[in-house]
Amino acid sequence: MSSPPASSLHRLPRPALALCAGIGLRAEHCTEFLASDPDVGFIEVHAENYFGRGGLPLHVLGRARRDHALSLHGVGLSIGSTDPLDDAHLQRLAELVERLQPAFISEHLCWTSHRGVHLNDLLPLPLTAEALAHVVRRVDAVQERLKRTILLENVSSYFEYTESTIPECEFLAAITRQTGCGLLLDVNNVYVSACNHGFDAAEYLARIPRDAVHELHLAGHVRRPCPGGEILIDSHSEPVCAEVWHLYANALRRFGAVPTLVEWDAELPPLHVLVGEARKADAMLAALERSPTFEVADALAA
Amino acid sequence: MPSLHETQALVSGALLRGESAQGVAALLRQTGSIAPERRLRVYRNNVFASLGSALEAVYPVTVRLLGAEFFRQLARGYIVKHPSHAGNLHAFGAQLPAYLRRQPSLAALPYLADVALLEWAGHEVYHEADEETLDADALARVPADAQARIRLHLQLASRFVASPFPVLAIWQANQAASADAVTPVSLDDGGVRVLVARRDFEVEFRVLGAAEDRFLRALAEGRSLAAALAAALAVDVTFDLGATLGRHLALGSFRAWSLAPIENDTP
Repeated sequence: MSSPPASSLHRLPRPALALCAGIGLRAEHCTEFLASDPDVGFIEVHAENYFGRGGLPLHVLGRARRDHALSLHGVGLSIGSTDPLDDAHLQRLAELVERLQPAFISEHLCWTSHRGVHLNDLLPLPLTAEALAHVVRRVDAVQERLKRTILLENVSSYFEYTESTIPECEFLAAITRQTGCGLLLDVNNVYVSACNHGFDAAEYLARIPRDAVHELHLAGHVRRPCPGGEILIDSHSEPVCAEVWHLYANALRRFGAVPTLVEWDAELPPLHVLVGEARKADAMLAALERSPTFEVADALAA
Repeated sequence: MPSLHETQALVSGALLRGESAQGVAALLRQTGSIAPERRLRVYRNNVFASLGSALEAVYPVTVRLLGAEFFRQLARGYIVKHPSHAGNLHAFGAQLPAYLRRQPSLAALPYLADVALLEWAGHEVYHEADEETLDADALARVPADAQARIRLHLQLASRFVASPFPVLAIWQANQAASADAVTPVSLDDGGVRVLVARRDFEVEFRVLGAAEDRFLRALAEGRSLAAALAAALAVDVTFDLGATLGRHLALGSFRAWSLAPIENDTP
């Protein structure tokens, strides 16, 4: 199987955003966010939540965008699906990009639909040569359509396919090499998948190309007991756990000071709690600046 | 080894419809002592939980009338029969009112589907395009000899809901913080006609009289002012054009005017 030609699109400059951690902005927090104007580096929203034709959501996002850099994070393009790419979806995304001029556009390494039915969940791909070639073609097509490089994010997964032959870190490295897209490395997702599948999260980070990572994600997960053990679920309903902060420090030491975003989507806390999580990431970014070999405890104590 | 397409067909069938879970489990790696079926079930739960939450967000009063647990069961059936067909969820749930109407188990709640219709209309209006509002001054500038041919265009953020049941009173009663505080509504209060519209981004329910409803619907169909007036008078000979126009100009129900072609001028 021959590899498609590498995209001619330029790599994103790095860092494109202020080195101050951002937060995922959810509808429930919007009013308070606009009123209190917390000092966050950037905001990230799920692109599909703004696919309506108008109304309050787009109005509020437009206001928030005036004072904040924006990352447009897709959850429904279904890049890994064998369905044709959805032209209407891409058209709407392109319109939002035009209107909001986001610093980043990202999507997930996953599939979410089959034969036009959307399951609204980030489903893992079999990591095979066939899937790699497919995803590379799709990322190329999306980038051509948007005239922009996108970032691709690793997802949490709860099962692996027996037919998978390529470790996920190498799969991502190959996509970024062949398409010129950047990576949005979700540190919590690496941790969740590492625990669920028994691989070494630090080793995973070490095999991601240093210059490919343009954004990092942090979030909380839950541990769900089940017969035979426990499965970690990427619930975005909790604070970032100590193990993920350690893995984040590890990621910063490897990838440098990368724009970092904290996500919280379920059982939302008051806005200040979410901003507090972003402050912790700020402390880590500041510690990295002081010493490239910083320790997590020192960073969070500072 | 199955193709990517075959794998996705099997997995999506297992997740949405519970098909051949064992066949899919055979595609999955056994890691540790957790059965692959158990891992697949995490995704199946996620699919129904996330789509179910999306329905609950659009239909809060319907949820309250049915109870959260019963709604969740109905939602599972709905998700299988009318799954989402887009990567965004704005259109997902559109068939729920009709779906509720067909459920034999809901025959004792004949108003329920219409309450859901009202909620769906509110959902659509909330996300509709932003438009300018037509004011009375702009309308006053229409040449007198063209006035019969005026067509008034309703805001895109407009939906009509009519029910033989007092669904707006039911909706309003269920905005109370606790179930104890709900004021009883009598079904004998009769039906209601509502224009669901938007003011300052907030969804508003505007109760319409029978002739007013006919008048606005005629305008929404693109008929001229004269034709709409005739339709309204056919419902109620006491229909007051001036008062109705004044009300809806003040409410901002219109976005623009245009002139009907002369050949379509007859009411």
